[in-house]
Amino acid sequence: MTKKQKRTVHVIIKEVALIVITIIMLLPILLSITMSFETPSEVFTYPPRIFPNTLYLGNYVNAFNSIKLGRLLINTIIMSVIIVAGKTVFGILAGYAFANFKFKGSSLLFALLFVTIFMPAEMIMIVPLYKLMVSLHWVNTYWALTIPFIASATSVFLMRQYFLTIPKELEDAARIDGAGSIKYLTKILIPLSKTMIGSVIVINFVYAWNFYLWPLVVINSNSMQTAQIGLQMLMTTGATRNWGIITAGTIIVLAPVLILFFAVQNLFVQGIVTTGLKE
Amino acid sequence: MSRKLLVIAVLVMVASMIFAAPITLYIWQGAGTTFTKTLQDLCNQFTALNPNVKVDVLYTGNYHDTLTKTISAVQGGNPPDLVMIYDVGTQVMMDSGVVIPIQDMIDKDPSFDINTIIPAARNYYSYNGKLYSMPFNSSNPVIYYNKNLFEKAGLNPNDPPITFDQFIADAQKLTVKDSSGNTVQYGFTFGTGEPIAWFFEQFLAVQNALYLNNNNGRTGRADKAVFDSPAGVRVLDFFNTMVQNGSAINAGAGWDNAESLFLSQRAAMLIDTTGDITMMLQGAGSNFKVGVMFLPHPSGVPYGGVIVGGASLWMINTHNTQREQAAWDLLKFLESADSQSQWSAATGYFPINRNSIIKLLYQGYYAQNPEFLVAVLQLLMSTPGPATSGALSGAMPDIRTAVSDAFSNVFSKAMTAEQALQQAQNQANKDLANYNSLY
Amino acid sequence: MSLPRKWIPYLLLAPTFFIITVFIYYPAYQSFFMSLYKVSPFGTSSRFVGFDNFLQLFQSGRFLQSVYTTLIFVVVTVGIGLVLSLFLAMLLNDKIPGIGIFRTLIFSPYAVSPAVAGVLWAFLLSPLSGYVSYLFLIFFKVQPQWLTTYPLALIAVMIATIWQNIGFNVIFFLAGLQSIPKSYYEAATIDGANSVDKLFNITIPLLSPITFFLIIMNISSSVFYSFAAIDVMTEGGPSNTTTTMMYEVYREGFFYFNNGAASSESVILILIMAFFTYLYFKFGQKAVHYQ
Repeated sequence: MTKKQKRTVHVIIKEVALIVITIIMLLPILLSITMSFETPSEVFTYPPRIFPNTLYLGNYVNAFNSIKLGRLLINTIIMSVIIVAGKTVFGILAGYAFANFKFKGSSLLFALLFVTIFMPAEMIMIVPLYKLMVSLHWVNTYWALTIPFIASATSVFLMRQYFLTIPKELEDAARIDGAGSIKYLTKILIPLSKTMIGSVIVINFVYAWNFYLWPLVVINSNSMQTAQIGLQMLMTTGATRNWGIITAGTIIVLAPVLILFFAVQNLFVQGIVTTGLKE
Repeated sequence: MSRKLLVIAVLVMVASMIFAAPITLYIWQGAGTTFTKTLQDLCNQFTALNPNVKVDVLYTGNYHDTLTKTISAVQGGNPPDLVMIYDVGTQVMMDSGVVIPIQDMIDKDPSFDINTIIPAARNYYSYNGKLYSMPFNSSNPVIYYNKNLFEKAGLNPNDPPITFDQFIADAQKLTVKDSSGNTVQYGFTFGTGEPIAWFFEQFLAVQNALYLNNNNGRTGRADKAVFDSPAGVRVLDFFNTMVQNGSAINAGAGWDNAESLFLSQRAAMLIDTTGDITMMLQGAGSNFKVGVMFLPHPSGVPYGGVIVGGASLWMINTHNTQREQAAWDLLKFLESADSQSQWSAATGYFPINRNSIIKLLYQGYYAQNPEFLVAVLQLLMSTPGPATSGALSGAMPDIRTAVSDAFSNVFSKAMTAEQALQQAQNQANKDLANYNSLY
Repeated sequence: MSLPRKWIPYLLLAPTFFIITVFIYYPAYQSFFMSLYKVSPFGTSSRFVGFDNFLQLFQSGRFLQSVYTTLIFVVVTVGIGLVLSLFLAMLLNDKIPGIGIFRTLIFSPYAVSPAVAGVLWAFLLSPLSGYVSYLFLIFFKVQPQWLTTYPLALIAVMIATIWQNIGFNVIFFLAGLQSIPKSYYEAATIDGANSVDKLFNITIPLLSPITFFLIIMNISSSVFYSFAAIDVMTEGGPSNTTTTMMYEVYREGFFYFNNGAASSESVILILIMAFFTYLYFKFGQKAVHYQ
């Protein structure tokens, strides 16, 4: 076989494998999509269906209207964008500090920062954090939704790990060329780290997007609630808990994240990351 | 002289009504989409009658999350005026020191007739004769059954079982296996975790048996659990007999899986709450006819009845007399016969105002919706007393976990019913001591 | 350029540390204080009990069982999760048609919130009417009781957690794989290395900084975020066999409102994690290959 033929076979095998794996992995979500197109009495047919009979769109319409999903999505996007911007930017700055500088107290500071990964706000800090919001007059504002969460030990840790893999020689070469620390960061390191930064953006976005308990506690007006609260409202035990509407809502809320990911993963261009030393 | 005073008094009243600052009341509730809409409709009707008072209805998560949010808000100095708290949160609210007991408002307001509230609901939310919260969305456990499957099994769909023994027998007849011996249709299904713990409480009440000491905590703070009794063992045996002989299936934790088993016609009978009646009817659609029956009871044992479940409306002390008065007016409005009829018809919860029940009856509502009548009758036919008033303790959520574990232990044959209940009761006593240690 | 180089790292760290001090450490300190008290749900009455809460925990069979469950849970979900994710990432590290869509779809479980993931899996594993149960019935003619028996319930929640975290791991493995120069593989081929050699001598070592990150992040995620799925799928049952430490904290704090107990359990959890992390960094760093 020629090289090209070998490659084609290789590609075909991979595509088939991927299709099978994707279907298996996506089973729960595929099922949701199916249910979202079914009427209340169709949802419970037996045997359970993988493909919907008809494309009933009423659930999507209902999901949007009954919980004003449009408004909730906008609120959540605003909140998420702010949180992501903060976590990513501060993460890059702090990761750079830990990876490329030797300074007094760096181990202690890193440890103090790292431990906060084990202290999620929603674990035991709801009431004290809320009281802090009250004293800052931030209750029911975007401040309360975002500011406490714009730092991220995870992002710092990740960027540190990644920056550590960039050879020191690159920085030395840049210094010889006259670039200062900040210039090195912005003009060389960050462009080199596009894929990693893209990943950080995505996971931070997911984190913010799935926020439920904190927005619930700190927001007091219907118009400022977030998407997950809306989903929970669809799911709460009620006279008309309707799995078609619940799954439709779930798919709608899922969509923005997937769109973001699809856009970012384009950065994962397969290629060689130059070490910059060849010239 | 007195006429002048009268005129002045009237003028002052009118002036205060005109110049009273408009206020917005905040109600927090943890019910789903239909409730929010219906509740907002009712509140809008209230505002139409009281233009000074707007009402903002906020969805605040499920019952647990609502309590979390309320606690934060109260501690932060930002409380709502009214909040819907679930049944087992009752003593927590009573002990909190941050609520205004409804009785206090009633005592100052001769225009409100407390006797319009059905006794079962009133007893649940009272302690020592004092009503603490306004019952609002109250539910009952019932058994839903599939009339079509009954017919298929040769059972009369209009003659569902009444006693434990009849139920067990029918469940067996309704179990269908395929050629390889796998069950493809179960006679009965239920959810574990919170649901089965609630059902356990209910079945004790059905036998007029107590769950906690001091008359279920109604005549004194409960500090011992007493459900490890012949009555309790009977309930465990009832479920376990069917699980072991294969006619009942444990659908897993929560309400959802049991409901989907029933609605997909994989189980002929389902124990669930009246709060889900509409969902059952819609889910069954034209696929099958849904019937509703009372909880079965063991023959030869005293009959008590059922306990109200669901939630009630609590008044938070906002230290603002004007707001509190407005909140009280709203509560009175929501409890009125008219409001309760609308609420019940829209959501499937039964009315807590007896006049609503009478009105709905006269309007032919129950004739057209016999399923709803079953729920109402089961409650009204309950003997009032400490057993059917339900257990009152801040440790109820903890105790429910222990009770659910007892069922799991019995189903897995790790323990006998007696052993499982004893372990659960010991755990419950620890939980009670823990909660009570602060009061 | 006028800043002395000495100050730069501190300035770079300043925003992050300001936020975590004010919004994480300050409220956390207040919470930890609560572990020394018995507090009523609304905080209106409290009593100092010193280390009583902690003592009660160590005497509680339920707590000790949750430690054991957590251990199994973490080891299995992290171990299997990472291996599967690496395999998938290598598969997705290619430019074949539709690769963008495959990546997005395989990532999507991570985008769903843990609670929703629990709901979906609970549905799938529902006896008889769930799709997985149905498949098992017609293909294997058995009806495993996924959510109501031990150990299937534990396996079920572990599957749900692994399923969720694959997306997270795949992203970073992909990014890591992208940064391994092709020339290394080409050179190895010339030297006569086969795929397995390349995997163990190039890929895995060069991925070690990312893997180092992923292991601890997966552990953290298993410990701290999987409780939502457990709550929906099994409520910690049957008989506490799926109750992890974090789930216990969650129930104590948000269901039973035993603030003192929840607080003390969190303190223990954080201490265990901190200690483990110390060991992890001390010894794990040596296995990491930085260029």
